[in-house]
Amino acid sequence: GFPEALVRGMRSGFLSDQDYHHLTQCDTLEDVKMNLAETDYGAGVLNEPTLTPLIMQERATEKLVTDFNYLRANAVEPLGKFMDFITYEYMIENVMLLLRGTISGRNVNELIAQCHPLGMFKESTMRTIPTFEANARGYAELYEVVLVDTPVGPYFQQYLDSIASGVSVAGDVRNVLEEVQIEILKHSLMKLYLEDFYFFCKSLGGETAEIMCPILSARADRNAINITLNSFGTPLNDPTMRETERKNLYPSIGDLYPAGLELLSKVDDDQKLGAALNAFPIYRTIFDKFLNLSPDEFSIDDEFYRKEVHLCEL
Amino acid sequence: MMMMLQQAMSWGDVLMGIDPHSYAALGVAFAIGLSVVGAAWGIGLTGASLVGAAVKAPRIRSKNLISIIFCEAVAIYGVIMAIILLNKFNSGSGKSATVTYQDHFAGFAIFASGLTVGLSNLACGICVGITGSGCALADAQESSMFVKILIVEIFGSALGLFGVIVGIIQSADGSFQ
Repeated sequence: GFPEALVRGMRSGFLSDQDYHHLTQCDTLEDVKMNLAETDYGAGVLNEPTLTPLIMQERATEKLVTDFNYLRANAVEPLGKFMDFITYEYMIENVMLLLRGTISGRNVNELIAQCHPLGMFKESTMRTIPTFEANARGYAELYEVVLVDTPVGPYFQQYLDSIASGVSVAGDVRNVLEEVQIEILKHSLMKLYLEDFYFFCKSLGGETAEIMCPILSARADRNAINITLNSFGTPLNDPTMRETERKNLYPSIGDLYPAGLELLSKVDDDQKLGAALNAFPIYRTIFDKFLNLSPDEFSIDDEFYRKEVHLCEL
Repeated sequence: MMMMLQQAMSWGDVLMGIDPHSYAALGVAFAIGLSVVGAAWGIGLTGASLVGAAVKAPRIRSKNLISIIFCEAVAIYGVIMAIILLNKFNSGSGKSATVTYQDHFAGFAIFASGLTVGLSNLACGICVGITGSGCALADAQESSMFVKILIVEIFGSALGLFGVIVGIIQSADGSFQ
């Protein structure tokens, strides 16, 4: 019906290989503008006196957001819910940005300008988020006052329940974690969000499940590996912390669940991580490259991103 | 028959007991009603895709109205058939008090004819609707696809025509005494 036709139209508006080929042959910014004029991006860049990468990115994001909102306005359930799930990811990122920004003491207006447009809350909500403290009590207050009305409220609720139950055990190490608390919050929220999205897609069944579930699994695995990698050398890597805190951050979906995650929760350096990934050939190849090449030639994030894009293209 | 309670009633008695005029009236209702359902469904399917695809590719608007016209034709078949059947549907000469064989035949003929036309137009309308929707989407991507998919639609709309032909032959002989 109507949304399907809209999506097809938007899909055919993507820049093709030929467009990119022409763009690489341009010598000046004027040429680039001329080449873009015939595509869907032409309207955005037409009136710019100078074209910088930043402006290009802004215009492209604007176009994405406009198209996304148009489609969302015309979508019926369950497409509407699916599209909302996509925005939750950006909402979580925005909340994290605002919280992190307050810790470093930046201006609220600057932070709001940097938020991703697909995950915006109401203006008033955005302004009150930075006023909360970045500790456990602050988060509880933040939730009760602001976030309970937003769609990401349930994820906060689950996170707060989990730390409330563990507070008696981990109370004495809470001070150690003051700096990493934000990261842990973000990873926990992402884990809950990914699981929710995964089960939603599964319940829709059919082609949605076939295509979305591998993508979400790959994302979950990538998060798990990244968490493990980034935790080497931080307090999170102590044997006591590993079992309780780090393991809680791994999502319970994906190829690595449950056997791989068991192995991952026991490693504490790169070599052991490589050994743990032996059973999963795809991740093993990526990780081998990471171990053998220097960071200049190879970035593990790029590899994962490439794999995810490949899955999305199918 | 109401007085012969000792005798067991069979389904045949029930069906023959219904007045032929009501069969004929139902036949007319099916002819027009089901045809319009099929045409409306088809136009809804095609129209939604047409409007959506025209957002990004406005050139397809005029050509793809042909798909809508094919769906509309289905409803027109239903109207024509209903009018033909209505002309046969009269109260007869009103002279005889009992229902004759001729009346039964007329009632059944008009009923069946109406059902034939109605059901085949229902299917035809939905078929042309789905195909027309695909035609609009394909045309938006690639202009050369339009004529080829139109052929599929023409085959689809022939189905309604088959129903009308058979319906006319079915009801040809029926007339109330």
